[in-house]
Amino acid sequence: MITLDNVTKSYGAFQVLKGCSAEIGRGEVVVVCGPSGSGKSTLIKCINALETFEGGQIWVDGLAVRSAQTDHSALRAKAGMVFQSFELFSHLSILDNIMLAPHLVQKRVKDEIREHAKTLLRRVGLERHADKYPIALSGGQQQRAAIARALAMKPDVMLFDEPTSALDPEMVQEVLQVMMELACEGMTMMCVTHEMGFARQVATRILFVDAGEIVDDCPAADFFAGRCSVRAQAFLRFEADHPG
Amino acid sequence: MQIWSWHGFFTYLGSPYIFCGALITVYMTAVSMMMGFLLGLLIAVTKRSQRRLLSWPARFYVWFFRGTPLLVQLVVIYAGLPKLDIRLSVMACSIIGLTLNEAAYLAEIIRAGLNAVPTGQIAAARALGLSERQIAWRIAFPQAFRLIIPPLGNSVNGLLKTTSVTSVISMEELMQRSQILVQDQFMVLELFSVAALYYLLMTTAWDFLQRRIEHYAERPYRRQQKSVSVEATKLSVATQDAR
Repeated sequence: MITLDNVTKSYGAFQVLKGCSAEIGRGEVVVVCGPSGSGKSTLIKCINALETFEGGQIWVDGLAVRSAQTDHSALRAKAGMVFQSFELFSHLSILDNIMLAPHLVQKRVKDEIREHAKTLLRRVGLERHADKYPIALSGGQQQRAAIARALAMKPDVMLFDEPTSALDPEMVQEVLQVMMELACEGMTMMCVTHEMGFARQVATRILFVDAGEIVDDCPAADFFAGRCSVRAQAFLRFEADHPG
Repeated sequence: MQIWSWHGFFTYLGSPYIFCGALITVYMTAVSMMMGFLLGLLIAVTKRSQRRLLSWPARFYVWFFRGTPLLVQLVVIYAGLPKLDIRLSVMACSIIGLTLNEAAYLAEIIRAGLNAVPTGQIAAARALGLSERQIAWRIAFPQAFRLIIPPLGNSVNGLLKTTSVTSVISMEELMQRSQILVQDQFMVLELFSVAALYYLLMTTAWDFLQRRIEHYAERPYRRQQKSVSVEATKLSVATQDAR
Protein backbone atom coordinates (compact mmCIF):
# COMPACT_ATOMS: atom_id res chain seq x y z
CA MET A 1 0.00 0.00 0.00
CA ILE A 2 2.70 2.47 1.06
CA THR A 3 6.39 2.03 0.43
CA LEU A 4 8.97 4.36 1.89
CA ASP A 5 12.33 3.99 0.22
CA ASN A 6 15.27 5.76 1.82
CA VAL A 7 13.42 9.08 2.27
CA THR A 8 15.64 12.03 3.18
CA LYS A 9 14.77 15.63 3.91
CA SER A 10 16.66 18.65 5.24
CA TYR A 11 15.77 22.10 6.46
CA GLY A 12 19.00 23.83 5.45
CA ALA A 13 21.80 22.16 7.35
CA PHE A 14 19.40 20.28 9.64
CA GLN A 15 18.56 16.81 8.40
CA VAL A 16 15.02 15.93 9.53
CA LEU A 17 14.75 12.56 7.80
CA LYS A 18 17.89 10.47 7.41
CA GLY A 19 16.88 7.74 5.02
CA CYS A 20 13.59 6.29 6.21
CA SER A 21 12.41 3.02 4.67
CA ALA A 22 9.31 1.01 5.51
CA GLU A 23 6.57 -1.02 3.91
CA ILE A 24 2.95 -0.73 4.94
CA GLY A 25 0.56 -3.37 3.70
CA ARG A 26 -3.18 -3.12 3.10
CA GLY A 27 -5.19 -3.37 6.33
CA GLU A 28 -2.24 -2.68 8.59
CA VAL A 29 -2.51 -0.23 11.47
CA VAL A 30 0.91 1.31 11.92
CA VAL A 31 1.62 3.59 14.84
CA VAL A 32 4.53 5.96 14.45
CA CYS A 33 5.93 7.06 17.78
CA GLY A 34 9.04 8.70 19.12
CA PRO A 35 10.23 11.82 20.94
CA SER A 36 9.10 15.31 19.89
CA GLY A 37 11.08 16.75 17.01
CA SER A 38 12.16 13.35 15.76
CA GLY A 39 10.57 13.83 12.34
CA LYS A 40 7.40 11.72 12.77
CA SER A 41 5.01 14.41 11.54
CA THR A 42 7.31 15.39 8.69
CA LEU A 43 7.49 11.77 7.61
CA ILE A 44 3.73 11.29 7.52
CA LYS A 45 3.23 14.60 5.68
CA CYS A 46 5.68 13.47 3.00
CA ILE A 47 3.34 10.61 2.14
CA ASN A 48 0.60 12.90 0.77
CA ALA A 49 3.07 15.50 -0.51
CA LEU A 50 2.18 18.16 2.05
CA GLU A 51 5.93 18.20 2.68
CA THR A 52 8.53 17.84 -0.04
CA PHE A 53 11.58 15.61 0.33
CA GLU A 54 14.86 15.66 -1.54
CA GLY A 55 15.99 12.07 -1.56
CA GLY A 56 14.45 8.62 -1.90
CA GLN A 57 10.93 7.82 -3.01
CA ILE A 58 7.50 7.07 -1.60
CA TRP A 59 4.91 4.95 -3.40
CA VAL A 60 1.26 5.12 -2.48
CA ASP A 61 -0.69 2.35 -4.19
CA GLY A 62 1.77 2.44 -7.09
CA LEU A 63 1.88 6.25 -7.38
CA ALA A 64 5.32 7.80 -6.95
CA VAL A 65 5.04 10.85 -4.67
CA ARG A 66 8.21 12.61 -5.77
CA SER A 67 7.56 12.77 -9.48
CA ALA A 68 6.56 15.53 -11.86
CA GLN A 69 4.15 13.14 -13.57
CA THR A 70 2.16 12.32 -10.46
CA ASP A 71 -1.11 14.17 -10.05
CA HIS A 72 -1.02 15.33 -6.43
CA SER A 73 -4.78 15.54 -6.38
CA ALA A 74 -5.14 11.85 -7.22
CA LEU A 75 -2.50 10.93 -4.67
CA ARG A 76 -4.22 12.92 -1.95
CA ALA A 77 -7.58 11.39 -2.75
CA LYS A 78 -6.05 8.00 -1.89
CA ALA A 79 -4.67 9.15 1.45
CA GLY A 80 -7.05 10.84 3.88
CA MET A 81 -5.37 13.02 6.49
CA VAL A 82 -6.37 14.08 9.99
CA PHE A 83 -4.49 16.92 11.66
CA GLN A 84 -3.55 17.72 15.22
CA SER A 85 -5.71 20.87 15.31
CA PHE A 86 -8.63 19.55 13.22
CA GLU A 87 -8.45 22.30 10.58
CA LEU A 88 -12.12 22.23 9.68
CA PHE A 89 -13.04 25.02 7.29
CA SER A 90 -14.41 27.58 9.72
CA HIS A 91 -16.73 29.32 7.23
CA LEU A 92 -18.56 26.12 6.25
CA SER A 93 -21.06 24.01 8.15
CA ILE A 94 -20.00 20.52 9.20
CA LEU A 95 -22.00 18.99 6.35
CA ASP A 96 -20.44 21.38 3.82
CA ASN A 97 -16.97 20.65 5.22
CA ILE A 98 -17.53 16.99 4.44
CA MET A 99 -19.18 17.52 1.05
CA LEU A 100 -16.71 20.06 -0.37
CA ALA A 101 -13.87 17.84 -1.59
CA PRO A 102 -15.96 14.93 -2.96
CA HIS A 103 -17.87 17.53 -4.97
CA LEU A 104 -14.92 19.61 -6.18
CA VAL A 105 -12.24 16.95 -6.55
CA GLN A 106 -14.11 13.76 -7.34
CA LYS A 107 -17.04 15.49 -9.10
CA ARG A 108 -19.49 13.10 -7.50
CA VAL A 109 -23.22 13.77 -7.63
CA LYS A 110 -24.41 16.04 -4.82
CA ASP A 111 -27.27 13.80 -3.66
CA GLU A 112 -24.97 10.82 -3.39
CA ILE A 113 -22.36 12.87 -1.50
CA ARG A 114 -24.98 14.18 0.92
CA GLU A 115 -26.22 10.68 1.71
CA HIS A 116 -22.64 9.47 2.13
CA ALA A 117 -21.82 12.45 4.37
CA LYS A 118 -24.85 11.79 6.56
CA THR A 119 -23.89 8.13 6.89
CA LEU A 120 -20.39 9.17 7.95
CA LEU A 121 -21.75 11.70 10.44
CA ARG A 122 -23.93 9.01 11.98
CA ARG A 123 -20.89 6.77 12.18
CA VAL A 124 -18.90 9.35 14.15
CA GLY A 125 -21.94 10.28 16.23
CA LEU A 126 -22.49 13.79 14.86
CA GLU A 127 -25.69 13.45 12.84
CA ARG A 128 -27.40 16.10 14.97
CA HIS A 129 -24.60 18.62 14.31
CA ALA A 130 -24.59 18.53 10.50
CA ASP A 131 -25.80 22.11 10.07
CA LYS A 132 -23.64 23.67 12.77
CA TYR A 133 -20.43 25.52 12.14
CA PRO A 134 -17.13 24.19 13.54
CA ILE A 135 -16.89 26.85 16.26
CA ALA A 136 -20.05 25.50 17.92
CA LEU A 137 -18.48 22.05 18.40
CA SER A 138 -16.13 20.78 21.09
CA GLY A 139 -12.59 19.74 20.18
CA GLY A 140 -13.50 16.06 20.21
CA GLN A 141 -16.53 16.65 18.01
CA GLN A 142 -14.46 18.74 15.60
CA GLN A 143 -11.87 16.01 15.30
CA ARG A 144 -14.54 13.38 14.66
CA ALA A 145 -15.98 15.65 11.97
CA ALA A 146 -12.49 15.99 10.48
CA ILE A 147 -12.21 12.20 10.35
CA ALA A 148 -15.57 12.04 8.57
CA ARG A 149 -14.37 14.70 6.14
CA ALA A 150 -11.31 12.61 5.27
CA LEU A 151 -13.39 9.42 4.94
CA ALA A 152 -15.79 11.14 2.55
CA MET A 153 -13.12 10.87 -0.14
CA LYS A 154 -13.25 7.06 0.23
CA PRO A 155 -9.48 6.90 0.81
CA ASP A 156 -7.43 3.70 0.67
CA VAL A 157 -5.35 4.75 3.65
CA MET A 158 -5.85 7.16 6.54
CA LEU A 159 -2.98 9.24 7.88
CA PHE A 160 -3.30 10.65 11.38
CA ASP A 161 -0.91 13.34 12.61
CA GLU A 162 -1.19 13.43 16.40
CA PRO A 163 -5.01 13.41 16.23
CA THR A 164 -5.53 13.62 20.00
CA SER A 165 -2.67 15.89 21.09
CA ALA A 166 -4.83 19.04 21.15
CA LEU A 167 -7.69 17.45 23.11
CA ASP A 168 -8.75 17.30 26.74
CA PRO A 169 -8.39 13.81 28.24
CA GLU A 170 -12.13 13.07 28.17
CA MET A 171 -12.31 14.04 24.51
CA VAL A 172 -9.32 11.87 23.62
CA GLN A 173 -11.39 8.74 24.23
CA GLU A 174 -14.24 9.65 21.90
CA VAL A 175 -11.78 10.25 19.07
CA LEU A 176 -9.78 7.08 19.79
CA GLN A 177 -13.05 5.14 19.81
CA VAL A 178 -13.81 6.26 16.26
CA MET A 179 -10.27 5.40 15.18
CA MET A 180 -10.47 1.95 16.75
CA GLU A 181 -13.73 1.21 14.94
CA LEU A 182 -12.08 2.29 11.73
CA ALA A 183 -9.14 -0.04 12.40
CA CYS A 184 -11.50 -2.93 13.15
CA GLU A 185 -13.25 -2.37 9.82
CA GLY A 186 -9.94 -3.05 8.10
CA MET A 187 -8.90 0.50 7.13
CA THR A 188 -5.20 0.86 6.43
CA MET A 189 -3.96 3.40 8.95
CA MET A 190 -0.76 5.21 9.76
CA CYS A 191 -0.92 7.19 12.94
CA VAL A 192 1.57 9.48 14.64
CA THR A 193 0.61 9.49 18.29
CA HIS A 194 1.76 9.51 21.88
CA GLU A 195 -1.25 7.42 22.90
CA MET A 196 0.51 4.22 23.85
CA GLY A 197 -2.77 2.71 25.07
CA PHE A 198 -4.20 3.08 21.58
CA ALA A 199 -1.03 1.66 20.07
CA ARG A 200 -1.19 -1.38 22.38
CA GLN A 201 -4.84 -2.05 21.53
CA VAL A 202 -5.04 -1.60 17.77
CA ALA A 203 -1.57 -1.26 16.22
CA THR A 204 -0.32 -4.15 14.16
CA ARG A 205 3.08 -2.53 13.78
CA ILE A 206 5.12 0.13 15.48
CA LEU A 207 7.59 2.43 13.81
CA PHE A 208 9.79 4.05 16.42
CA VAL A 209 11.38 7.21 15.04
CA ASP A 210 14.26 9.02 16.70
CA ALA A 211 16.34 11.87 15.25
CA GLY A 212 15.08 11.33 11.72
CA GLU A 213 15.65 7.59 11.61
CA ILE A 214 13.29 4.65 11.86
CA VAL A 215 15.02 2.92 14.74
CA ASP A 216 12.47 0.15 15.23
CA ASP A 217 10.04 -1.42 12.80
CA CYS A 218 8.45 -4.37 14.52
CA PRO A 219 5.13 -6.02 15.36
CA ALA A 220 3.33 -4.19 18.16
CA ALA A 221 3.43 -7.25 20.42
CA ASP A 222 7.23 -7.44 20.20
CA PHE A 223 7.59 -3.70 20.74
CA PHE A 224 5.53 -3.63 23.92
CA ALA A 225 7.13 -6.84 25.17
CA GLY A 226 10.42 -4.97 25.16
CA ARG A 227 11.89 -6.70 22.10
CA CYS A 228 12.99 -3.37 20.66
CA SER A 229 15.96 -1.00 20.64
CA VAL A 230 17.44 0.46 23.81
CA ARG A 231 16.28 3.92 22.77
CA ALA A 232 12.71 2.69 22.32
CA GLN A 233 12.79 0.97 25.69
CA ALA A 234 13.89 4.21 27.33
CA PHE A 235 11.07 6.02 25.49
CA LEU A 236 8.51 3.46 26.67
CA ARG A 237 9.65 3.77 30.28
CA PHE A 238 9.37 7.55 30.03
CA GLU A 239 5.88 7.37 28.50
CA ALA A 240 4.80 4.95 31.24
CA ASP A 241 6.00 7.38 33.91
CA HIS A 242 4.40 10.40 32.19
CA PRO A 243 1.10 9.25 30.76
CA GLY A 244 -0.53 11.59 28.23
CA MET B 1 -24.87 90.61 4.15
CA GLN B 2 -26.55 87.99 6.27
CA ILE B 3 -24.41 85.64 8.37
CA TRP B 4 -26.60 82.61 7.79
CA SER B 5 -29.72 82.19 5.71
CA TRP B 6 -31.99 79.31 6.71
CA HIS B 7 -34.00 79.96 3.61
CA GLY B 8 -30.93 79.51 1.44
CA PHE B 9 -29.89 76.40 3.35
CA PHE B 10 -33.22 74.67 2.88
CA THR B 11 -33.52 75.76 -0.74
CA TYR B 12 -30.18 74.16 -1.52
CA LEU B 13 -31.01 71.13 0.59
CA GLY B 14 -34.10 70.52 -1.52
CA SER B 15 -32.41 71.40 -4.79
CA PRO B 16 -32.68 68.56 -7.36
CA TYR B 17 -29.39 69.79 -8.87
CA ILE B 18 -27.52 69.12 -5.62
CA PHE B 19 -29.44 65.90 -4.96
CA CYS B 20 -28.48 64.52 -8.37
CA GLY B 21 -24.89 65.53 -7.64
CA ALA B 22 -25.06 63.33 -4.54
CA LEU B 23 -26.43 60.45 -6.61
CA ILE B 24 -23.54 60.86 -9.03
CA THR B 25 -21.16 60.68 -6.06
CA VAL B 26 -22.79 57.46 -4.88
CA TYR B 27 -22.64 56.03 -8.40
CA MET B 28 -18.96 56.89 -8.81
CA THR B 29 -18.14 55.40 -5.41
CA ALA B 30 -20.02 52.17 -6.08
CA VAL B 31 -18.56 51.61 -9.53
CA SER B 32 -14.96 52.47 -8.68
CA MET B 33 -15.15 50.48 -5.44
CA MET B 34 -16.33 47.34 -7.21
CA MET B 35 -13.87 47.62 -10.08
CA GLY B 36 -11.11 48.64 -7.69
CA PHE B 37 -11.85 45.60 -5.55
CA LEU B 38 -11.52 43.21 -8.49
CA LEU B 39 -8.30 44.88 -9.66
CA GLY B 40 -7.05 44.99 -6.07
CA LEU B 41 -7.75 41.27 -5.68
CA LEU B 42 -5.73 40.54 -8.78
CA ILE B 43 -2.86 42.72 -7.54
CA ALA B 44 -2.97 41.20 -4.04
CA VAL B 45 -2.79 37.66 -5.42
CA THR B 46 0.05 38.46 -7.83
CA LYS B 47 1.94 40.38 -5.16
CA ARG B 48 1.82 37.29 -2.94
CA SER B 49 3.15 35.11 -5.75
CA GLN B 50 6.51 33.40 -5.33
CA ARG B 51 7.30 34.27 -8.94
CA ARG B 52 9.02 37.62 -9.30
CA LEU B 53 7.68 38.03 -12.79
CA LEU B 54 4.25 38.38 -11.18
CA SER B 55 5.03 39.95 -7.82
CA TRP B 56 7.29 42.73 -9.09
CA PRO B 57 4.76 44.38 -11.42
CA ALA B 58 2.22 44.21 -8.58
CA ARG B 59 4.68 45.82 -6.17
CA PHE B 60 5.43 48.48 -8.72
CA TYR B 61 1.73 49.20 -9.20
CA VAL B 62 1.06 49.66 -5.50
CA TRP B 63 4.22 51.73 -5.06
CA PHE B 64 3.29 54.02 -7.95
CA PHE B 65 -0.41 54.58 -7.28
CA ARG B 66 -0.02 55.06 -3.54
CA GLY B 67 3.00 57.28 -4.08
CA THR B 68 1.43 59.86 -6.36
CA PRO B 69 -1.56 62.12 -5.63
CA LEU B 70 -4.94 61.13 -7.00
CA LEU B 71 -5.29 64.68 -8.28
CA VAL B 72 -2.23 64.26 -10.47
CA GLN B 73 -3.41 60.84 -11.69
CA LEU B 74 -6.78 62.28 -12.67
CA VAL B 75 -5.27 65.20 -14.55
CA VAL B 76 -2.85 62.90 -16.39
CA ILE B 77 -5.71 60.63 -17.47
CA TYR B 78 -7.97 63.54 -18.39
CA ALA B 79 -5.35 65.52 -20.30
CA GLY B 80 -3.12 62.68 -21.43
CA LEU B 81 -5.52 60.19 -23.01
CA PRO B 82 -6.81 62.63 -25.70
CA LYS B 83 -3.20 63.06 -26.85
CA LEU B 84 -3.17 59.33 -27.58
CA ASP B 85 -6.41 59.89 -29.46
CA ILE B 86 -8.44 58.16 -26.78
CA ARG B 87 -11.48 60.29 -26.09
CA LEU B 88 -13.45 59.45 -23.00
CA SER B 89 -16.14 61.27 -21.05
CA VAL B 90 -15.28 63.09 -17.85
CA MET B 91 -17.21 60.42 -15.98
CA ALA B 92 -15.16 57.63 -17.56
CA CYS B 93 -11.90 59.44 -16.76
CA SER B 94 -13.01 59.98 -13.17
CA ILE B 95 -13.96 56.36 -12.65
CA ILE B 96 -10.75 55.10 -14.26
CA GLY B 97 -8.68 57.37 -12.01
CA LEU B 98 -10.58 56.46 -8.84
CA THR B 99 -10.48 52.75 -9.68
CA LEU B 100 -6.75 52.66 -10.41
CA ASN B 101 -5.97 54.64 -7.26
CA GLU B 102 -8.31 52.70 -4.97
CA ALA B 103 -7.10 49.34 -6.27
CA ALA B 104 -3.62 50.02 -4.89
CA TYR B 105 -4.95 50.54 -1.36
CA LEU B 106 -7.49 47.70 -1.59
CA ALA B 107 -4.74 45.34 -2.77
CA GLU B 108 -2.91 45.87 0.53
CA ILE B 109 -6.10 45.34 2.54
CA ILE B 110 -6.92 42.15 0.64
CA ARG B 111 -3.32 40.94 1.02
CA ALA B 112 -3.58 41.36 4.78
CA GLY B 113 -6.79 39.32 4.75
CA LEU B 114 -5.26 36.53 2.70
CA ASN B 115 -2.23 36.42 4.97
CA ALA B 116 -4.55 35.98 7.96
CA VAL B 117 -6.31 32.86 6.66
CA PRO B 118 -5.13 29.96 8.89
CA THR B 119 -2.40 28.04 7.06
CA GLY B 120 -3.62 24.81 8.66
CA GLN B 121 -6.93 25.04 6.80
CA ILE B 122 -5.05 25.63 3.55
CA ALA B 123 -2.99 22.50 4.24
CA ALA B 124 -6.17 20.56 5.04
CA ALA B 125 -7.69 21.68 1.73
CA ARG B 126 -4.53 20.56 -0.06
CA ALA B 127 -4.64 17.21 1.73
CA LEU B 128 -8.20 16.74 0.43
CA GLY B 129 -6.91 17.17 -3.11
CA LEU B 130 -8.29 20.66 -3.86
CA SER B 131 -6.36 22.56 -6.53
CA GLU B 132 -4.72 25.87 -5.68
CA ARG B 133 -7.45 27.68 -7.61
CA GLN B 134 -10.19 25.85 -5.71
CA ILE B 135 -8.45 26.62 -2.43
CA ALA B 136 -8.34 30.31 -3.35
CA TRP B 137 -12.02 30.61 -4.31
CA ARG B 138 -13.55 28.21 -1.79
CA ILE B 139 -11.37 28.65 1.30
CA ALA B 140 -9.03 31.65 1.17
CA PHE B 141 -11.19 34.38 -0.42
CA PRO B 142 -14.36 33.77 1.63
CA GLN B 143 -12.41 33.74 4.89
CA ALA B 144 -10.27 36.72 3.94
CA PHE B 145 -13.35 38.70 2.94
CA ARG B 146 -14.87 38.38 6.38
CA LEU B 147 -11.64 39.59 7.98
CA ILE B 148 -11.31 42.67 5.80
CA ILE B 149 -14.86 44.03 6.06
CA PRO B 150 -13.92 46.71 8.64
CA PRO B 151 -10.99 48.15 6.63
CA LEU B 152 -13.05 47.80 3.44
CA GLY B 153 -15.70 49.87 5.20
CA ASN B 154 -13.08 52.52 5.83
CA SER B 155 -12.25 52.53 2.15
CA VAL B 156 -15.86 52.94 1.03
CA ASN B 157 -16.35 55.74 3.54
CA GLY B 158 -13.16 57.44 2.39
CA LEU B 159 -13.95 56.99 -1.28
CA LEU B 160 -17.38 58.64 -0.88
CA LYS B 161 -15.54 61.83 0.02
CA THR B 162 -12.48 61.33 -2.17
CA THR B 163 -14.73 61.41 -5.26
CA SER B 164 -14.83 65.18 -4.71
CA VAL B 165 -11.27 65.38 -6.04
CA THR B 166 -12.68 64.63 -9.50
CA SER B 167 -14.09 68.17 -9.48
CA VAL B 168 -10.62 69.28 -10.69
CA ILE B 169 -11.32 67.64 -14.04
CA SER B 170 -14.76 69.28 -14.01
CA MET B 171 -16.66 66.20 -12.97
CA GLU B 172 -20.06 67.44 -11.85
CA GLU B 173 -20.48 65.50 -8.66
CA LEU B 174 -21.78 66.81 -5.34
CA MET B 175 -18.81 69.05 -4.53
CA GLN B 176 -18.45 70.54 -7.99
CA ARG B 177 -22.17 71.30 -8.18
CA SER B 178 -22.01 73.02 -4.80
CA GLN B 179 -19.11 75.14 -6.02
CA ILE B 180 -21.03 76.02 -9.18
CA LEU B 181 -23.98 77.24 -7.14
CA VAL B 182 -21.69 79.32 -4.93
CA GLN B 183 -21.02 81.50 -7.98
CA ASP B 184 -24.72 82.23 -8.06
CA GLN B 185 -25.51 83.83 -4.68
CA PHE B 186 -22.23 83.43 -2.75
CA MET B 187 -23.91 81.47 0.05
CA VAL B 188 -20.71 79.55 0.71
CA LEU B 189 -21.52 78.46 4.24
CA GLU B 190 -25.06 77.32 3.49
CA LEU B 191 -24.07 75.40 0.37
CA PHE B 192 -21.09 73.68 1.90
CA SER B 193 -23.16 72.78 4.94
CA VAL B 194 -25.69 71.15 2.64
CA ALA B 195 -22.88 69.28 0.91
CA ALA B 196 -21.49 68.15 4.28
CA LEU B 197 -24.95 66.96 5.30
CA TYR B 198 -25.26 64.94 2.12
CA TYR B 199 -21.86 63.34 2.68
CA LEU B 200 -22.89 62.55 6.24
CA LEU B 201 -26.11 60.94 5.01
CA MET B 202 -24.24 58.84 2.49
CA THR B 203 -21.62 57.65 4.96
CA THR B 204 -24.34 56.88 7.51
CA ALA B 205 -26.22 54.79 4.96
CA TRP B 206 -23.00 52.93 4.26
CA ASP B 207 -22.51 52.34 8.00
CA PHE B 208 -25.85 50.56 8.14
CA LEU B 209 -25.10 48.53 5.05
CA GLN B 210 -21.68 47.56 6.38
CA ARG B 211 -23.21 46.39 9.63
CA ARG B 212 -25.61 44.13 7.73
CA ILE B 213 -22.78 42.68 5.66
CA GLU B 214 -20.73 42.09 8.80
CA HIS B 215 -23.65 40.45 10.54
CA TYR B 216 -24.05 38.09 7.62
CA ALA B 217 -20.34 37.28 7.36
CA GLU B 218 -20.03 36.63 11.09
CA ARG B 219 -22.81 34.04 11.05
CA PRO B 220 -20.49 31.00 11.05
CA TYR B 221 -18.43 32.48 13.88
CA ARG B 222 -21.12 32.99 16.52
CA ARG B 223 -20.95 30.42 19.27
CA GLN B 224 -24.69 30.24 19.84
CA GLN B 225 -26.04 28.34 16.90
CA LYS B 226 -29.32 26.78 17.89
CA SER B 227 -30.14 26.00 14.35
CA VAL B 228 -29.48 27.91 11.20
CA SER B 229 -33.10 27.82 10.08
CA VAL B 230 -34.38 29.21 13.39
CA GLU B 231 -31.96 32.11 13.13
CA ALA B 232 -32.97 32.77 9.54
CA THR B 233 -36.65 33.01 10.48
CA LYS B 234 -35.82 35.30 13.38
CA LEU B 235 -33.94 37.54 10.98
CA SER B 236 -36.82 37.79 8.54
CA VAL B 237 -39.22 38.52 11.41
CA ALA B 238 -36.92 41.27 12.61
CA THR B 239 -36.78 42.91 9.18
CA GLN B 240 -40.56 42.71 8.88
CA ASP B 241 -40.89 44.39 12.26
CA ALA B 242 -38.57 47.12 11.10
CA ARG B 243 -40.83 47.80 8.17
